[in-house]
Amino acid sequence: MGLLTREIERAPCTVEISHKFESLHAHVRFNNGAVVNPGDEVTVQGPEIMAPFGEVVSEDREAIILRASKLEQLWTRLTGDLEVMELCEFSFSEEVTL
Amino acid sequence: MNVQTPHTADITNVDESLALQEAQAKMDSQFATDVAMQNTLLTPRFYTTDFDQLDAIDVSPVRKDWDALIAEMEADPNKGHFKKNEDWDEVDWEGMEPGLKKEFIDFLISSCTAEFSGCVLYKEMKRRGKNGDIVQLFQLMARDEARHAGFINDALREAGVAVNLGFLTQKKKYTFFQPKFIYYATYLSEKIGYARYITIYRHLEAHPEHRFHPIFKWFLEWCGDEFRHGEAFALLMKTDPKLTSGRNVLWIKFFLTAVYATMYVRDHQRPEFHKALGVDPDWYAHSVFTKTSALTEQIFPITLDIEHPRWQPTLERLHRANVGIAEGKSEGGLSGRLKSWANSARAALCFVQLYTIPANKHRVPQSTRLEPVY
Repeated sequence: MGLLTREIERAPCTVEISHKFESLHAHVRFNNGAVVNPGDEVTVQGPEIMAPFGEVVSEDREAIILRASKLEQLWTRLTGDLEVMELCEFSFSEEVTL
Repeated sequence: MNVQTPHTADITNVDESLALQEAQAKMDSQFATDVAMQNTLLTPRFYTTDFDQLDAIDVSPVRKDWDALIAEMEADPNKGHFKKNEDWDEVDWEGMEPGLKKEFIDFLISSCTAEFSGCVLYKEMKRRGKNGDIVQLFQLMARDEARHAGFINDALREAGVAVNLGFLTQKKKYTFFQPKFIYYATYLSEKIGYARYITIYRHLEAHPEHRFHPIFKWFLEWCGDEFRHGEAFALLMKTDPKLTSGRNVLWIKFFLTAVYATMYVRDHQRPEFHKALGVDPDWYAHSVFTKTSALTEQIFPITLDIEHPRWQPTLERLHRANVGIAEGKSEGGLSGRLKSWANSARAALCFVQLYTIPANKHRVPQSTRLEPVY
């Protein structure tokens, strides 16, 4: 990883989307043990994956990981916390009027 | 259709549940292809944290309480609760007043996104963690969140809103939060979530004529999950006294103020929802803050002085400033921008005024665990 340069990495991944009454969830798992670090960008290749209601869809895809440069990683570590309020639940969106 | 298989709400373990779901026959996609449905893209955020620090947590100092809590979660008291049964009344979506319908759907979508994001976060921690205690906890919490999200999603479908999970193929940037900020934010979020749900539930128990949707009947057991998640974060914080002392107390005060103020502002932006419930948002906010403060005394050494003369009027001014920011933005042009800036400055000042109200201090009890009593 360079101080200023970004590197591109490809990783096989499995995308799983559950659109069921009992469980609504979605996850991407990298199958080669790739680990995402602060500031990295991940794009799963291919068309949008849609799970119809009642289904669990699991697809093997390729993900492109755009590795953050050393500097970006440091910056994300230092400033990421500013957005931490996103973790809070407030029942409503932030829109003032709907 | 998945008629023959057991309901996954009855299953305790996430992986078991996933395996079962995968094995189930694929069912019709009538709803997904139904173009008449309003399509809402869920947009959870993606985070990383310091996983080594998370793995270094040693729950030995709270082992007894920890094991009891995990056992309770493993026993899964809400297994089977998140199913529709005869209590799920028919909802007259067509006849619902349009203003209320908009606000209520906003409530459902925001709640669904929050549960869903919680699931993504907890599952990520579970995947990357190596500490058995921590991994087990996050697995159990991810199970609950996915279940809640699925339940709300179903209510949304009834309202003609289909959530779109296609976000996974979009570009995602991973941001970074320190573990301690995750603890403060999610602990508070779970406890205030409990207080919010139980306050509405008890109110509707006394005034069932205001229950305009059956989902509120599920809030009692639902908030039990929120309560237990909060307990888990309280115990995590208890393992390291530094998290709740010294300079971190300033952070705790920041989170308390930010969460209370944001809740106040957001609730006041949804007047039709509260009118339909027969709830005065000022009464509701005060009632929720009082409960949350009492609960958070279990681990935080301070509570906010919500009885201070400056508290309520400043919240009201903050709400007005927030409306002003939005008005300025929609007006556009130079005057709109100036209005928006002036109100942003006003809002920031309000926050400072709230933050600088002296906090109430107390001695944190030796034993952390609480039971839901409201």
